[in-house]
Amino acid sequence: MDPMTFSIIRHRLFRIVDEAVITLKHVSGSAITNEGHDLMVSLYRADGTLLMGGVGFLHHLTSAAEACKSIIRRFEGDIHEGDIFLLNDPYTAALHTSDIYLVSPIHHEGRLVAWSACFVHVYDIGAVNPGGFAPQAPDIYTEGFSSPGIRLVSGGEMRQDVLDTILNMVRSPEMVTLDLRSMIACNNVARDRMQSLMTKYGAEEVDTACAELVRQSEDLFRARLSELPDGQWQSRQYLDVNGVTARVNLTMTKREDRLIFDFSGSDPQSPYSINCTKWASLGGLFAPLFPLLCYDITWNEGVLRPVEMIAPEGSIVNCTRPAPVSVATVGAIQSVNNAACSTIGKMLGASEKYRDQSTAVWHANHFAIFKFGRNQKGSESIGILTETFAGAGGARSFADGVEIGGEIPNPISRMANVETVEAAFPVRYLFRRRAPDSGGPGEFRGGTGGELALVPHKAPDGGIHYVISGKGARHPMSEGLAGGYPGAPNSYVWIKAPEDGANAPVTAAGGLDAIPGTQERVSWGVYPLMGRDALYVRWNGGGGHGDPIVRDPDAVCRDVAAGLVTAQSAGDIYGVVLNDGAVDETETQAKRKGIRSARLAQEAAE
Amino acid sequence: MSDQDRISASVAVMEGQAVCAACGQDLGLATEPWKEHAQRREIPLAQAGGPAFDTGHEGVVLRHFYCPSCAALLDTETAMAEDPTLNDILASRG
Repeated sequence: MDPMTFSIIRHRLFRIVDEAVITLKHVSGSAITNEGHDLMVSLYRADGTLLMGGVGFLHHLTSAAEACKSIIRRFEGDIHEGDIFLLNDPYTAALHTSDIYLVSPIHHEGRLVAWSACFVHVYDIGAVNPGGFAPQAPDIYTEGFSSPGIRLVSGGEMRQDVLDTILNMVRSPEMVTLDLRSMIACNNVARDRMQSLMTKYGAEEVDTACAELVRQSEDLFRARLSELPDGQWQSRQYLDVNGVTARVNLTMTKREDRLIFDFSGSDPQSPYSINCTKWASLGGLFAPLFPLLCYDITWNEGVLRPVEMIAPEGSIVNCTRPAPVSVATVGAIQSVNNAACSTIGKMLGASEKYRDQSTAVWHANHFAIFKFGRNQKGSESIGILTETFAGAGGARSFADGVEIGGEIPNPISRMANVETVEAAFPVRYLFRRRAPDSGGPGEFRGGTGGELALVPHKAPDGGIHYVISGKGARHPMSEGLAGGYPGAPNSYVWIKAPEDGANAPVTAAGGLDAIPGTQERVSWGVYPLMGRDALYVRWNGGGGHGDPIVRDPDAVCRDVAAGLVTAQSAGDIYGVVLNDGAVDETETQAKRKGIRSARLAQEAAE
Repeated sequence: MSDQDRISASVAVMEGQAVCAACGQDLGLATEPWKEHAQRREIPLAQAGGPAFDTGHEGVVLRHFYCPSCAALLDTETAMAEDPTLNDILASRG
């Protein structure tokens, strides 16, 4: 194939995915899709293998491939032009029930030539708790509607009986309808554009280009792996739920042009819904691998071939039915993602050529809070606090992490405006801002996470309730690199209003401790936000890189002035002494010398 | 493995030995766990990084691994006290 035609087809495939994503967002009406960008669109070859990974949550690229393959097996000989299939069973391919896959066969001149697949986190899935994350679910049976594959659209016509059955099992069926229709529109656009591409260049020519694209990705990725040092790197993640701690252990081994992710030694599956299936773990480890190792390589089946995953059956990273998994995406999957991010960051740091692309772990812990209840307009509303998508950048080997800088597994994630949330829910923000000391200390500091506080406002029922799946309040999860500290852990606090009837403050510039009332930590379950009470949330910052006491003192001074680092931490951790808002160089040198002496003195003592 | 490789930004490799990148202190073979040659200290998480790290829960520590010569902080680990050290090693090629 001539290189010009190949290049044109490759770029057309990129553009098809982009246009399908835009379509999805234009039709969808939910904040989690439009504001948080909790979505994914990708293209797959006729056999279901990944052809062109798109943007959105990258955990889904490989799982949606398995969804396509599963539909091919289940409906063999009965797949027709204009069909669209729905799949959301985690034990077949999905990550959790509320992330519904719609997969669409693409035909050209009567022959199946490709697939498009997309997902959104639907408004509700009929689980025991509203919104899809179900911390109170003891098993998969209470996590809502679940299908290993069903035909939703037949030959271009909606199967109304199937749609009605699904909608009969969920809260807010009108919003779930919109979610499904946004995905149908997305797949229709992808199919139409793929068919146009094949009409112009011919199906065989396009297929040849696709095969070449996969081969090219494999060759490029193997070549990159060969450039990196051989070795073995380890990381560990802790997931705490109700005082029970589960571990995800990873040993990543790189040999020549192969990479093995071994999760042996991870804890057994949990009674809580933080588990994930093996397809989900595979997606979890590829989410950081694609952007960190393949930023200039097309994300497709070719990247998968040099990689092997070992995930013991019955463990938290390869659970068996009927273990609950509804919190998987922010539980074990995210921990697999974090662990892989950490080992890949270490491997990059070991290479002279790629050292400047090494990064500590980014925002490692979604807090996943879903508000629900009657809003100020009298309607029942369900919605996630999209700040969970705001993230925080991990420090790099040459620069600080970006404050509230997103996350590795979703390059387009973001949070909604405060006003958007206040318009849809009967709440008022007391504050939302960057959280001091949340970024992992280091020569290069992790990007800060954020903090917010909410109170009920104009709520017809006196307030609302929320579902919280908030692990990560005991253990930092954004690990640092090369002596950098981890980002600070999450914090979730229910502030119960004082008995004297004082009103909640309109603002709370002083942060959590300026809000009147008694503080109670919460993390898992369903809680009220009623009356004059408040909810405080702090999300984790990124990991730091390098020894904090070699950080440029002027950078520490700027951080303190900006409210990103407290004066206490400037002295205790960075060894920087400030006087009247400026660095006292003499005192700083003495302080840092004292810290070094204390480190060595401790060695002598032992 | 070559002298251009490192185990991390803080631990370099010189003639097959892991060394402190800041002062060159020998930390053993690069193909074996270097942390056994470093100074290890465990700090309760609540004391590790300012008030934001005080979770109100005990049992979690931040492990520090220092160069025994120049006191550079070479690595950290979040850990439960009973959990083993994480090890990163390079493999010899050929």
